[in-house]
Amino acid sequence: MDAPLYLRPRVDPPLAALLSDRPFLHSLVDVLGSPLNVLLPDAVAENVARFRAVYGRHHLTGRVYFAHKANRSSALLRRLAAEDPAAVGVDVASVDELRHALGCGFTGDRIMATGPKDAAFLWLAARVGATVSLDSPGELERLSGLLRAHGLGRIAVLVRLSGFEYTSGPGGAGTRLLSRRSRFGTPLRDTDALLSALERNAETVEFVGAAYHLDTTGVEEKARALEQCVLFMDECRARGLAPRALDIGGGFGVGYVAEAEEWGRWTTALTEAVLGVRPPLTWRGHGYGLRNEGGTVRGAAALYPAYRPTAGPGYLDELLSLPAPVLGRPPASLLLEHLHDLHIEPGRSLVDQCGLSLARVLDVRPVDTGSGQYLVQLAMNAGDMSLEEHGVLVDPVLLPRGEAAPGDGEPVGVYLAGNLCLEGDLITRRLVFLPRLPRAGDLLAFVNTVGYAMDFRAHHAQRQPVARTVAVERRGESWHWCPDEDYWPITPVGEQSDEV
Amino acid sequence: MRYDSITEAIGNTPLVRIDPAVHGLRNIDLYAKLEMLNPFGSVKDRPAWHMARSHLEAATGGDGTLVELSSGNTAKALALLAGMHGVRFKSVTNRMRVPEIKELLLLIGAEIEELPGRSECLDPTDTDDPLTHFHRALSDPGSTYLHTDQYFNPRNVEAHAEGTGPEIVKDLDGRAPDWFIACVGTAGSSTGVAKVLREHDPRVRVLGLVAHKSDFIPGIRTIDEVHEVGLFDPATYDTIESVTSDEAIDGMITLIRRCGLLSGPTGGAAYQGTVRQLRYADGELDGTGQRRTAVFIVCDRAESYLGYVRQRRPELLGRTAQERSATAVTDAEARAEARVIGVDDARRWSAEGDPRPLVVDLRSPHAYAALHIEGSVNIVDEVFEDLLRGGLPFSKRTPVLLACPVGEKSLRYAAALKRMGHPDARSLDGGIIAWRDAGAPLVRE
Repeated sequence: MDAPLYLRPRVDPPLAALLSDRPFLHSLVDVLGSPLNVLLPDAVAENVARFRAVYGRHHLTGRVYFAHKANRSSALLRRLAAEDPAAVGVDVASVDELRHALGCGFTGDRIMATGPKDAAFLWLAARVGATVSLDSPGELERLSGLLRAHGLGRIAVLVRLSGFEYTSGPGGAGTRLLSRRSRFGTPLRDTDALLSALERNAETVEFVGAAYHLDTTGVEEKARALEQCVLFMDECRARGLAPRALDIGGGFGVGYVAEAEEWGRWTTALTEAVLGVRPPLTWRGHGYGLRNEGGTVRGAAALYPAYRPTAGPGYLDELLSLPAPVLGRPPASLLLEHLHDLHIEPGRSLVDQCGLSLARVLDVRPVDTGSGQYLVQLAMNAGDMSLEEHGVLVDPVLLPRGEAAPGDGEPVGVYLAGNLCLEGDLITRRLVFLPRLPRAGDLLAFVNTVGYAMDFRAHHAQRQPVARTVAVERRGESWHWCPDEDYWPITPVGEQSDEV
Repeated sequence: MRYDSITEAIGNTPLVRIDPAVHGLRNIDLYAKLEMLNPFGSVKDRPAWHMARSHLEAATGGDGTLVELSSGNTAKALALLAGMHGVRFKSVTNRMRVPEIKELLLLIGAEIEELPGRSECLDPTDTDDPLTHFHRALSDPGSTYLHTDQYFNPRNVEAHAEGTGPEIVKDLDGRAPDWFIACVGTAGSSTGVAKVLREHDPRVRVLGLVAHKSDFIPGIRTIDEVHEVGLFDPATYDTIESVTSDEAIDGMITLIRRCGLLSGPTGGAAYQGTVRQLRYADGELDGTGQRRTAVFIVCDRAESYLGYVRQRRPELLGRTAQERSATAVTDAEARAEARVIGVDDARRWSAEGDPRPLVVDLRSPHAYAALHIEGSVNIVDEVFEDLLRGGLPFSKRTPVLLACPVGEKSLRYAAALKRMGHPDARSLDGGIIAWRDAGAPLVRE
């Protein structure tokens, strides 16, 4: 067998301590079943503080809005509701998310309603005084009609913009930065109709600013969009409008893999495997989107860049510090000098290090005689843990049931299969290396998969149990837990309190 | 030398011996093939002309556009060649990472299209890279693009097999060197030269240098990226090694400061990689009385990479990593020494003061134009800093109210003015933002 290709997870302190308490995690799964998601609500507040520190460094005001779609947890939302209202809000993308946010303690003025919206969503958002992020002039007209028809008060709106490609320079010569086309927002060149609609409906909506969300890891593209929005807001001011906030969306990223070297080695090995110069390291030679065309690799790997030197708050800091292409000043200076608030909507990066998913090992058997590879079947399916769907490659941590004897076992390559009767139900299509062969009853912990991978798409297929979710808290030397739905930041986890 | 066209000056570049006192190899003669002395400044002049010549001569006066995936030297050469033939040139690139090259291309008249970055929220149905989309667009029926296709075009290799390789053999008196070392970008020069040298002497060892995986050296691909190159064949190389950007800059500095060769980082990487690789072989030769020869390529010149060096090794350009302010006031000193004035008092002062203060807004002109305190003048902080280097820019009889967004920069400048002897310079506490939040008027012009 080749040297094991590990992709070991980045585990920061509170999560590392939880992970080291094997008996506690086993006892949780014994009671609540497998799969099980475990959340650390305090970690989400810690992440907010890190983002706020970047705001502080650049003297910026505005809110960090948690993008609710990243995780349906109540505990996380309630923990965030307990934070400073001026600093933390929530971004909701459906009427259910809006109800959930209200139920968890967010007041309407801390809520941003985004995404596709039906009448009920718009009505409830308006009713509670949420800010609505508008995608198009049509949506603005529908909202205004609704407000008039139901006699609702004036509400704050942001306009979401897109299409920031531009050509600079005279005579055709110049630079054109292409962008991935987005389904959302109004293209910048079509904003005239939007501005007229804002002016026409000024008695029902208060225009408070612009927004964008770009699905890219490219920080330059975001800096350019940010600058274009600042220029757009100046244009608005020239027309007598008074916008003062810029919402730059999310996409700040998470570093899942701890070591750059491991990530580099694995991705190189994938390329070599696709070219056929080394044995496959995926189930049935899956190339994650890469293909071999006559000895040359084509296509793009459908993988999340799991090792990242800068992610989350660091990425925001980098974005705010880049020089902007037209005016030359860094985005932080642009915002500050134009007196704009900065809103951000991190989802995944706000729940970084906030928890883990546990799955019990059901069965272990060789893939075939002599291959040295094993199939490990888990009490969990690809819908519970959609690592593949999000292209996140990271090793689980093996939590043996009993005490392992010293020198017990050798590193081994395994495929992690789910509990559905489907050939495609693999937790990951990659050969995963573990420090030793697991046994039935052991647990695998998928660390830091809370953002997206945990429950973006978890469902009730085949009547397999859906993952329960619990919030845990360290008190003194031991961990305490309660069901996600029973968590409140004012009560110690696992206790009832009558005190107010 | 008299030529009818600059294209005749392409090729026939010098082969220059590197002083053994510099590289320290005792038994190996090391030569640099100075491709940087091609007329457009790089090794890419050869394939660019060889690939584009027939297109351009056919297209002169037409309305075609020459297009290439390049963020550097190939684009530069093609843009100049296209311009000479009245054809437009468009460079499509993953990212222009060297700002000087981008500006040079714009000066030459190139159009630049930068491809979008990777998706943050993965879309597993979209597994085509931007380049695949690009190739598809080029092959659309009715497309008027002339695509030189440097990563797949055999004429790229041919240019070196017909030019660079034979020139090396000729300058070594009809012998092939024992080692040939080239950085791998399109693999054109390494493949073409290796082919010719091996025809002369099958024992020649070819070393390909790639960039360290997580690093960036302009013009060189990483070990993963070379596999995306159609011309790349692992069989061309006896060894493939990686170099870091630090090594590239070290090598570049040695070539510049000790050899008089104004090489860019790619040439530096080739030099450093060569010496690192040959040190062992050199030791083996000790006492055998044998001499060996090695040739590496200096791809291009240093001038375009000042920003690259500035970013990575500012001390080489006489800078410290963190530029110190000319006014040299620390935050603590500013807090202790500067006079501040709150918004309400500042409003009264600017309306009723005798004499009234000069209000200086330190923000950028664009922000100033959008909204500012009525009657204020705009001096951008950077300009203001320069002004202070020259001396006190205001009369001591004119009181000054300094304003920036939050009152931080203005505090430092107020302290600096005080040190320079100005009796009444005050910083607006909380800045323009506090002014706005207090409901004080801001105007627009």
